[in-house]
Amino acid sequence: MTSPAKTGHRPRWWVAVLVAVGGILLIVFSALLGTVDIPVRLGLQILLHQLTGGWWFPQACAGTSLDPSRCSAYTFVVWDLYLPELLLALIVGAALGLAGASLQGVFRNPLADPFLLGISSGGTLGAAIIYVYRIGLADADLYLPAFAFIGSVATGLLILAVARGRYSSVETLLLTGVALANLLSAILSLVLLRNPAGSEQVSFWLLGGLGLASWEVDGIAFGAVLALGTLLCLHGKELNLLQLGSDVAQSSGVDSSRVRLRVILLASLVTAVAVAFTGIIGFVGLVSPHIVRRLAGSDYRIVLPASAAIGALFLLSARDVSYLAFPGSLFPLGIFTAFAGVPFFLYLLYRQRRLTPMGGA
Amino acid sequence: MTPPPPAVRVRGLGVRFGSRVALHDVELEVPAGEFVVLAGPNGSGKTTLIRAMLGFLEPDAGTVELFGRPVGDLSIRERARRVAWVPQEEDLRDDVPLLQYVLYGRYPHQGLFDRDTPEDRAYALRILEAVGLSDRAADGIRSISGGERQRAVLARALAQATPLLLLDEPTSHLDIAHQLDLLSRVRALSRSEGVTVVAALHDLNLAARYADRIVVLSRGHRVADGTPRDVLSEDLLARVWGVDAELEMDSRSGLPYLLPRRLVTDTRPSPSALSPGPVHVVGGGGAGAPLLRGLTDEGFRVTSGALHLLDTDAETAEALGVVAAVEGPFAPLSAATRENHRVLLREARVIVVAAFAVGPSNLANLEDVLPFAGRTPVLVVDPAPGVALDFTGGAGDAARDALRAAGAVFVSDPDAAVREVVRLLASAQTPGPAAPAQG
Repeated sequence: MTSPAKTGHRPRWWVAVLVAVGGILLIVFSALLGTVDIPVRLGLQILLHQLTGGWWFPQACAGTSLDPSRCSAYTFVVWDLYLPELLLALIVGAALGLAGASLQGVFRNPLADPFLLGISSGGTLGAAIIYVYRIGLADADLYLPAFAFIGSVATGLLILAVARGRYSSVETLLLTGVALANLLSAILSLVLLRNPAGSEQVSFWLLGGLGLASWEVDGIAFGAVLALGTLLCLHGKELNLLQLGSDVAQSSGVDSSRVRLRVILLASLVTAVAVAFTGIIGFVGLVSPHIVRRLAGSDYRIVLPASAAIGALFLLSARDVSYLAFPGSLFPLGIFTAFAGVPFFLYLLYRQRRLTPMGGA
Repeated sequence: MTPPPPAVRVRGLGVRFGSRVALHDVELEVPAGEFVVLAGPNGSGKTTLIRAMLGFLEPDAGTVELFGRPVGDLSIRERARRVAWVPQEEDLRDDVPLLQYVLYGRYPHQGLFDRDTPEDRAYALRILEAVGLSDRAADGIRSISGGERQRAVLARALAQATPLLLLDEPTSHLDIAHQLDLLSRVRALSRSEGVTVVAALHDLNLAARYADRIVVLSRGHRVADGTPRDVLSEDLLARVWGVDAELEMDSRSGLPYLLPRRLVTDTRPSPSALSPGPVHVVGGGGAGAPLLRGLTDEGFRVTSGALHLLDTDAETAEALGVVAAVEGPFAPLSAATRENHRVLLREARVIVVAAFAVGPSNLANLEDVLPFAGRTPVLVVDPAPGVALDFTGGAGDAARDALRAAGAVFVSDPDAAVREVVRLLASAQTPGPAAPAQG
């Protein structure tokens, strides 16, 4: 870069470095935080021991007075409980950040996010129906996420079916999603009211949490989010042009309607992965792209991957805040993302009002 | 050896939106390198024609070819390498740096994984230079002035490096200095790079100044096509724009320019010279308004009389640009007004008598129609059942009966009357209202 940014919000390298360093510190900090207190030094040793396959710190608990069984219990807590949980937070946060950024891009609306569009609600409804109506209850661990996934994807497809209509504008689409979200919530309430027994289980999906985290779950989620996220990130240039309006984009060589369909589909899928394993976690998808745009401008080639990074760190922070505020147990994360997200979002809105009367980011 | 295909070839293009005909049988051929201005009043079809050239809409009839290939056969990417578009105004929401914005125009030349290359950057900077914005390259697109922004939009379109550039009223939001600036730049680029330009403009003087050729559209028809000198005339302005203007020659440039003087109400409906008629409506008190509207919508030249000023029919006539013989408010029809009315009646090819209330002040209207009943088709609209029209103590009904005796055709309502007029004038082998017409 030869010319310095004056007003156009060119990404600044030191912001990226700051976020990266902060992120790594946050991750290390998070790895030692959870239901059980772990001494910092011990925790770091266990991490390094496990990460390097015993090359560093051959004895994970060297220098402590822990007996081998206590040591392996600590190792289990750090390695098999905390780490999968924090990784799932990162993966899901990234998925939601990406989904939010791409939906905001494709709808040219800073309020678009998977929650608003009903994609998340569809997932919860899917999980609720499978649970309440006892389909395949024998293996609920497997079926619940699967049906949450199906519910989210089905909602996304429904929005897409509307999007294929020849005269549907972006605004129509967005409002369709909003209407759909409300309808799904209503159906969900009905299902739960008629089956009170199911509501406790289903509330996991309603409030969102990291309770399902394990190395297996993380592996599936990571693979899926990585693949879908890569595909989404390949649409940066197209999303940039779509910001100029779909006609201008088309005259510049972007197949606007096809790109719109593709991005909505991918965003629904990536949201579905998140909802399947963690339920509804709001505001990550909404807020992360806004933070990115303030820090790095509005080039979607950067906004997409950066929203994934910010979303990941945001959700991880929410997890940490939950442990710090209520030591010993992990609260539903949706509560904390809302507590952090809403005031921040309002702040952004009011700051930006000067520039964009109707909320164009 | 075959000559190279023209940049644009439009043949028999027809586009309708629902029942509205936006373009009718439009022919246009633009040789490579030419600067053509599409002129015409609002709603004449300029934008629709440009959108058809961009492949944004499916024509209902005819074809559009760019450089010898039907636009519909080209992929969106291929299209973007042949034709770039400068819209009237671009809805810019993100404050991206100008250079980045111009680089968006390189999209059709980049592969899926391509980043902006140094060549792309150099190209974009050259274009910013050409539009006079090189010192603003790092500024946000939303922070520059309106005139600069439109130049930036032009730069983005130019970055596509297409041999054809379409501009849709690119200067309509600019002040005169920026209008001249933008068009001179486009003109210069067209000359130096051999870029073909088709620009929709509604300012005819700007058009005359920059265009090699002006194509005039009116209500979806191509009504004139030629050099500014050939096309611009006082008659054209009156006919198409409904403006009385004076045509002058600029002694320095040798180009014609127009000085508009006032609105010409008697020729305002633009298809007047092209469309059949006149159809004369005898009305009053609002009874004639549906007829005036229906017949105007059908594309007929419509006249009316004798109406009283401030009356609903008189106001409708004025709003529609219908020529009418008009009397002062509530006054009995004077001899002069009646004479004017008779002139209109004489010219009419069909006379339609609305179901208006007949009083002493307008009884003369029916009496004046009577002599024409034998020569001109006369349609009389029946009143709605149970509605009395005669407030003269019998003279009004007697006059209507006399019309019937003289061969007038009675119809049930205004719509039926309009349909009957369409039938009458179509069977008389006149060009229909939607027939192609040349100026």
